Amino acid sequence: MIDDTNAKRWLTGVLLGPTTVWFLFMLVLPLVVVAIFSFGMRSPEGGYVASFTFDQYFNLPSRLAAFKNTLSYAPLGTLASLLIAYPLAYYLAIKVNQKWKLLLLVLVIVPFWTSLLIRTYAWIFLLGGKGIPSLLEFIGIEGVRLINTPFAVIVGIIYGYLPLMVFPIYISLEKLDKRLLEAAADLGCAPARSFFQITLPLSMPGMATGCMLVFILLMGEFLIPAFLGGGKVFFIGNALVDLFLQSRNWPFGSAVAITLVIIMLVTVSLYMRLAMGKSTGQDESLM
Amino acid sequence: MSNNFKDNQPITATKLMEEFRRYQKGSVSRRHFLGVTGLGTAMAVMGAATPSLMPGSAQAAGKLSNKMVLSTWPNYHNPKTLENFTSETGVNIQANVFGSNEEMLAKMQAGGGGVDVIENTNYTFSTYVKLGLLTELDLSRIPNYDASTQNPKFSSASTIDGKIYGVCKNWGTTGIVYNSKKIKSNPKSHKDFFDVTMGAGSGHSILHDYQLTTIGAALCALGYSFNSIDKGELAAAEKLLIEAKPHLFAITSDYQPGLRAGDAWMSICWVGDGKQLNTDLPEMQYFVASDGGELWSDFYSIPVNTPSLDTSYAFINYMMDPKNQSLDAEVHGYPSSDSRVTGMLPESAQNDPILYPAKELFNALEFGAAESLTDPTRAEVMARFKSA
Amino acid sequence: MTMRLYTFAVYLFLYVPIGIIVLFSFNSGRHASDFQGLSVKWYGKALSNPFMMDALTTSLIIAFSAALLSSIMGTMAALALQRIRGPLKPLFDGMIYVSIMIPGIVIGIATLVALVTVFDFLNPILASVWPEGANPPKLSLGYMSVIAAHTLFTMSLVILLVRARIAGMDRSLIEAAQDLYATPWQTFRLITLPQIFPAILAGFLLSFTFSFDDFIISFFVAGTNSTLPIYVFSSIRRGITPEVNAIGTMVLAVSLILLVTAQILLRKNTGKSSAAAE
Repeated sequence: MIDDTNAKRWLTGVLLGPTTVWFLFMLVLPLVVVAIFSFGMRSPEGGYVASFTFDQYFNLPSRLAAFKNTLSYAPLGTLASLLIAYPLAYYLAIKVNQKWKLLLLVLVIVPFWTSLLIRTYAWIFLLGGKGIPSLLEFIGIEGVRLINTPFAVIVGIIYGYLPLMVFPIYISLEKLDKRLLEAAADLGCAPARSFFQITLPLSMPGMATGCMLVFILLMGEFLIPAFLGGGKVFFIGNALVDLFLQSRNWPFGSAVAITLVIIMLVTVSLYMRLAMGKSTGQDESLM
Repeated sequence: MSNNFKDNQPITATKLMEEFRRYQKGSVSRRHFLGVTGLGTAMAVMGAATPSLMPGSAQAAGKLSNKMVLSTWPNYHNPKTLENFTSETGVNIQANVFGSNEEMLAKMQAGGGGVDVIENTNYTFSTYVKLGLLTELDLSRIPNYDASTQNPKFSSASTIDGKIYGVCKNWGTTGIVYNSKKIKSNPKSHKDFFDVTMGAGSGHSILHDYQLTTIGAALCALGYSFNSIDKGELAAAEKLLIEAKPHLFAITSDYQPGLRAGDAWMSICWVGDGKQLNTDLPEMQYFVASDGGELWSDFYSIPVNTPSLDTSYAFINYMMDPKNQSLDAEVHGYPSSDSRVTGMLPESAQNDPILYPAKELFNALEFGAAESLTDPTRAEVMARFKSA
Repeated sequence: MTMRLYTFAVYLFLYVPIGIIVLFSFNSGRHASDFQGLSVKWYGKALSNPFMMDALTTSLIIAFSAALLSSIMGTMAALALQRIRGPLKPLFDGMIYVSIMIPGIVIGIATLVALVTVFDFLNPILASVWPEGANPPKLSLGYMSVIAAHTLFTMSLVILLVRARIAGMDRSLIEAAQDLYATPWQTFRLITLPQIFPAILAGFLLSFTFSFDDFIISFFVAGTNSTLPIYVFSSIRRGITPEVNAIGTMVLAVSLILLVTAQILLRKNTGKSSAAAE
């Protein structure tokens, strides 16, 4: 019996071994090194000089705008994606006929299979002077500028991450027992009321997952603001790229990165406690 | 798969041993040995699995590798010149395009092995050399280079402590380009640039994503030196830049697409881009600003850990051939520091007012200084401007 | 009806940019912004461009390795995690969530900083212990660093997927197998594996897609290697030609073919595995 538990322990160790090594070398070690660097100083030629100073953290307010931008565009972009994705997911899960369902679903993912870079590039053209604005000019609306504006960045965000939002919502709506809706209708419940009282609460977990996925990706976004914001809409991601690949200020870059990680951990765990906690609570109450 | 036909030929056992002995004696390079024996392919596969465990440069003179990496700038070569090099030598060129010297330096500093030739600018040499990132050049391996036909004003920046680290590719001015169909006020200076940007041309100007030229432009507009690192003057420049930011079309060093699409009307501009734009679209006017600006020269240099020194030299030597330089210049449009090249150009090009501005304008230009590139205050001003 | 119109509009929004990419890949002109006539020459150019093909090969090798590593290691970890109790479990859960939550850009930067530091420390040591005359190996950024960095994220993804599948698994079958004196290996091979296989496959495909499409992590840790996204990024900077559109169209076409094939395979496989389970 003792041998048996030993063997089991040994097996568990072997199974977890590679993952442990990976977490140690690719997650813990890099984060520790970055944390150490964030207390260092920039050498005159760029790079890092060992030191122990909080200067880098005191300098954080100089990137306040980047933090503000990210922390406002990320929720805004998430909300916009949610608003556009929900009706689509609803239609796909509840309204559309079984025959077309799979095809329509696949059609939502397909754009996701081309490179985000190339898709974003397509928008540079579409929003640029020879794209949509020239069409608008054709129908008499002149002087509209779309490229390199906050609007362009939001469009890019929605376009880039819509599928990530549609899928979780679709899955939670798909699981919904349609007999509940029928029963509600039989009992004289108005469609709008049954939507708000049954459908919407039941799709909460999907919405929560989708929002979290999109939010996490947006917090580290670099490409979309760089390409569609013309360097004028500045995210933390852009600040980080500049710090490491332009001014070569590794210590300050490390401090910004550590701060971003802390913000992420705090917001996401708060969010999980609030949104996820609430929705699972409702799940249970329904059972 | 290899472009070097010899790599694909079978080899006999005796030939293999013979080659191996030559390799041991050091009379052929390792690269040659591997190429001839077909072990190269095997090594390449292993190299893919265990990256960078393959030793760096070939020791002895010998064969060229079948590809090289060139760190360059947007629109900086005639595709034909590069294609000709490939068809003559079998070396394929991968051009990595950068947005600024800082970025090029950052990638080199972060362990950018595997680059064969870089095209860095005059003011970067002291930093590169201090960091030990460049190979001292052996000019005898660049026979096409002739120091006596070079204009030392442009070609001397690569000499540090008597050692030569680069040969001059071309020089140029940094001025302003504008679309004369859209901007009628006939701007002449950096001051005009900012006035138009915040006035009639609001929403249509581009500043570079490069602190040297962007802060330099603001400094010139305020009447200060392009290279200033004075804290007060930089604060004034920062104020001007942040004030102008809402009126900008973009902050990018890749400004040709925006100008060509008609979205942008005016940009800080390197002369070659100005020439390219003016050739295709005559309404695009380039000028050197009356309140100063930058004069610069770019070089071909070899990083210390180049994969194949022979290839690096072969490429530079090829590019130093006046014939190839002028072929290149047909597309990039920058003036050469080599009198042999200038002599080959047609009369009209030799007196091109875009390339060779009037003396009083020319004399007001400054070479960028190494301190302007590495100054931490300037880096922070740029960062605050971008994130504002 | 409004719903239908709305859905149609969203699909239009999703597909117009793709249509533009595909359309301009057949442009005979040089500039991507003016359409000058139909031609397939950019496909020829892209396919005969050794760097584009190199970048594609690099991307495929990296994506395949990362996907393979993460499906194997992720599945192993998911199997182990269902049996452990005690403080180790929340520790692993924490690691999994942190590695999913941390933005790619931070992973890229942290990996770059850590690897460069470690290499700077190790390279002189390697050089000093290496035998005289031979070239000492020089550690630097490359394929391995990209694969390792991608695998961190994708491995955690596989763990989550496989774990969810294990949780929904029919335990009675395993108990039945044990009652019939099947060895643990037999139980795994005949009962568990077929049941969790769809999750592993889904994890593999997701990992592959993530790694193949990733730009920001590779941008920091690939050294001088170009992956396809890095190549495309550089091309967009160089002033884009329809060649990039041709590359994009080809990638899309291949993805579609893979997607359809995977769908067919998956259908067959689930058919088989449910048959095996019965």
